[in-house]
Amino acid sequence: MGELVVDKHVKYILSVEKRKDSFESVVLEHLRMNGAYWGLTTLDLLGKLGALDSNEVIQWIMKCQHESGGFAGNIGHDPHLLYTLSAVQVLALFDKLNVLDADKVANYISGLQNEDGSFSGDEWGEVDTRFSYLAICCLSILHRLDKMNVEKAVNYIASCKNVDGGFGCTPGGESHAGQIFCCVGALAITGSLHHVDKDLLGWWLCERQVKSGGLNGRPEKLPDVCYSWWVLSSLIMIDRVHWIDKDKLVKFILNCQDTENGGISDRPEDAVDVFHTYFGVAGLSLLEYPGLKAIDPAHALPVDVVNRIFFQK
Amino acid sequence: MNLSSFWSLIPLIDEVGFIHPSQFVTLNKEATSSLKHEDANFWSRDHKLAISTDVLLPLYNAAKDAFMHAISQYKRHGNLSDASGYASNLESEAMKHSKALLLLSCDFGTAWNFRKLIVSKKQKIMLFLDELLLSALVLSYSPKSEKAWCHRRWVIKMIAGKCSTLQDIAGKESELVEKIAERSKMNYRAWNHRCWLVSYMTTEQVLHELKKSRNWAGLHVADNSCFHYRTRLMLRIMEEHCHKLEDGTSDENNEIYQIWQEELDWNEALIKRYVGREALWLHRRFLSLSWIRHFTTTLGDTSNYRACKSSINGDIGIFMDNELHLANSCSTIPDNDFEDFQAQAMYSATYILWLTKQISDSQGIELPEKPNLGSLETMLNMACPERSFLWDILTRITGKCDEVLKENNC
Repeated sequence: MGELVVDKHVKYILSVEKRKDSFESVVLEHLRMNGAYWGLTTLDLLGKLGALDSNEVIQWIMKCQHESGGFAGNIGHDPHLLYTLSAVQVLALFDKLNVLDADKVANYISGLQNEDGSFSGDEWGEVDTRFSYLAICCLSILHRLDKMNVEKAVNYIASCKNVDGGFGCTPGGESHAGQIFCCVGALAITGSLHHVDKDLLGWWLCERQVKSGGLNGRPEKLPDVCYSWWVLSSLIMIDRVHWIDKDKLVKFILNCQDTENGGISDRPEDAVDVFHTYFGVAGLSLLEYPGLKAIDPAHALPVDVVNRIFFQK
Repeated sequence: MNLSSFWSLIPLIDEVGFIHPSQFVTLNKEATSSLKHEDANFWSRDHKLAISTDVLLPLYNAAKDAFMHAISQYKRHGNLSDASGYASNLESEAMKHSKALLLLSCDFGTAWNFRKLIVSKKQKIMLFLDELLLSALVLSYSPKSEKAWCHRRWVIKMIAGKCSTLQDIAGKESELVEKIAERSKMNYRAWNHRCWLVSYMTTEQVLHELKKSRNWAGLHVADNSCFHYRTRLMLRIMEEHCHKLEDGTSDENNEIYQIWQEELDWNEALIKRYVGREALWLHRRFLSLSWIRHFTTTLGDTSNYRACKSSINGDIGIFMDNELHLANSCSTIPDNDFEDFQAQAMYSATYILWLTKQISDSQGIELPEKPNLGSLETMLNMACPERSFLWDILTRITGKCDEVLKENNC
C-alpha cells in the first residue's frame, strides 16, 4: 500500500500560496480566505504550521475585515459568512483570536439570522443551511452562541430534513453530503443531534461508498476525495463510522495523491488542488492515519486547537 | 491590456468560450460569411464570442483593476448630486466593468453584488430582466456557477411582488434548468434552483410540471436530482391535499391516489427496463414509504399522519406482496459480464430492507408479515460480498426495531 507523502504535500501547499501567474489561480482570488484555511489547516494537521510567517497572514486577514465586522475573501472584496468563518478558523490555528473584536464579528453574524431561524450568507439574502453551519460554528469559536436564536436556528435546520434522512440547502432540497455535514455539524455544536434519525441518515451516508472504496456525495455520482471529509465526519458525529470500510477509503485517498509533485486530487489521476489536499488529509486524520494530528469533526479544526478554545482558562 | 475591443464585443453576445489560439484558425476556416471582427485575441460572429486562452490572464487583471477602481470611485462620488451626469457616468462605467469581469470570473461575488446594488436602487423591471439575461449567459458556459444561480433567485425575489407574470417567470426558469441540465448532468445547483421555484408555483403548475417533466426523467434514469425534483413536486401536492382535508374543503382522494399509483407503476417499468439504476430504487423508497404512510389503514392509529389519512384504505399486505415480488424478480444474477445484475440484486434487497425498517419505525403501522431478513442478507452477500459487514449491520438494526416494538406492545 502507498503512503502519505507528507513533505511533498507541504512543499505543494507552500508553492501554491505564492502562485499568481496563471489564469486558473487568479480566478480564485475572491476566495483566498477559504484557500488560506484549507492550506494552513493541512499544514497544521501535518505538523508543519511553523513553515509560514503567521504575522504576515494575520495582517492580511485583518485587512479583509469589513466595517460591518464580516470578512471578505480577499482585500477590497465584499464580506460573506463563508470567509468570516475561515478567517476566524485561521486565527484560531495561530492562537490569535484575541486580535479580534469578537463582539463586532458576532454582531455581523447574528445580524444575518432571519425570522424563521435560517441564515443569509450576506446582506443580499441568499439562504442555505451551509450558512447556518458557518454562523453556528463561528459563534461557537467566539464563545458567543447566545447572540443568536439557537432554538429557531435548530428548528430551521430540522425543517430541511428529507424523507431519506439527509439534508438539503433549504426545505425540500436534495440531500447532499456537503449540506448534511453542515446540518449535522450545526446540530452537534448546539447539542441538538436528537433531531437526526441516526440509523436513517447513517444508511444514506454509508451508501455513498462505492466499489473503489471512495465516497461520493450523492447517489449515482463518482467518488471524490472531498466527500471523505463530509461523509466521514457526519458518520462520526452520529456514531455510525463503522458502517463504511475504512481501509478501502484510506487506500482510495492515498491513490489520489500526486506522489511526484505533492497535492491530492478529487480522484486518482486527476489534477491536484489545495481544496482536495485539505479534505484528503483531514479525511485521513479522521481515519486515524498515523502521524497526523487529530481533527474535530464538528469544528473542522485540529483537536488541540479546539481544546485550547474551549478548555483553556 | 487594452480592454476597449473586449467591451465593444460584449453587448449582444449570447455565448462565450475560452479557446486555444490555434483554434481561431479553424473558426475562421469554418466561417461562411466574412468576419465581423478580426483580432488576435478575440473572435466574434453571430453573437458568439471566443476569447483566446493566451489573453485570459492579462484580460482578467485589467478587468478586475478597472472594476475595483470604478467601484471605489463610485463609493466616493456616486451619491453626489448629478447635475453634470458625473455620478451616473461612474455608475455605468462600474456596471460595464462588472459585466466584463463576470464573463471571465463568474463567481466574483463583489461584482454581482455591485450590480444588485445599482439595480435595486433603480427598481426598473427591465433592469432586473437584464440581470436574468446576464446570468443566463454566464450559466451557458458555467452551468455550476453558484453566484449566477443565486443572482437569479435574488432577481426573482425582488420582482415577485411587482410582477403579474410571476407564474410565467417560474415556468421559464424551470425550462431553463431543464435545458441546462441536459448539458450538465446531475447539476446540483441547477436542480436545487428548480426545487426552490416550486414555492412560487400554483398547484396547477405543480401538477403540470410533474406530468411535463416525466418524459425527460425517463430518458435520464441515472439523474438522481431529477427524481428528487419529482419528490419535491409530489410532496407539495401532498401538502396541498392535506390542507384541503383539514379545512374540509375537499375529500377528493382519488386524484392524489392516482398520481402515486401512476408514479409507482412507471417507476416499476423503468426498474425492469434499466437494470441496476440506483436513482430509480431510491425514488421507489420515497414512493412506497409515503404511499404506506398516507394510504393504508392503521392499527390503533397512533400515527402522526392522522390528520392526513386518506379515506382510501389501501391494503399494506397486498402492497408489500407486490414489492417483494418485484424485488425477487430482480434478485437473479444470470451473468457477471457487467455489474448491472449484481447492482440490481443489491438495490432490490436494500430497498426491501430499508422499507421494512422505516415501516417498523413508523408509529401505528404494522406489517402483517415481515420479510425474511435472513434470506435478504444472503441475497446481499451474494450480490456484494465485500460489504458483508454492512449487510450484517443493516439487517440487525432492521430486526432490532421489531424486537423493541414487540417489547413495547407486550
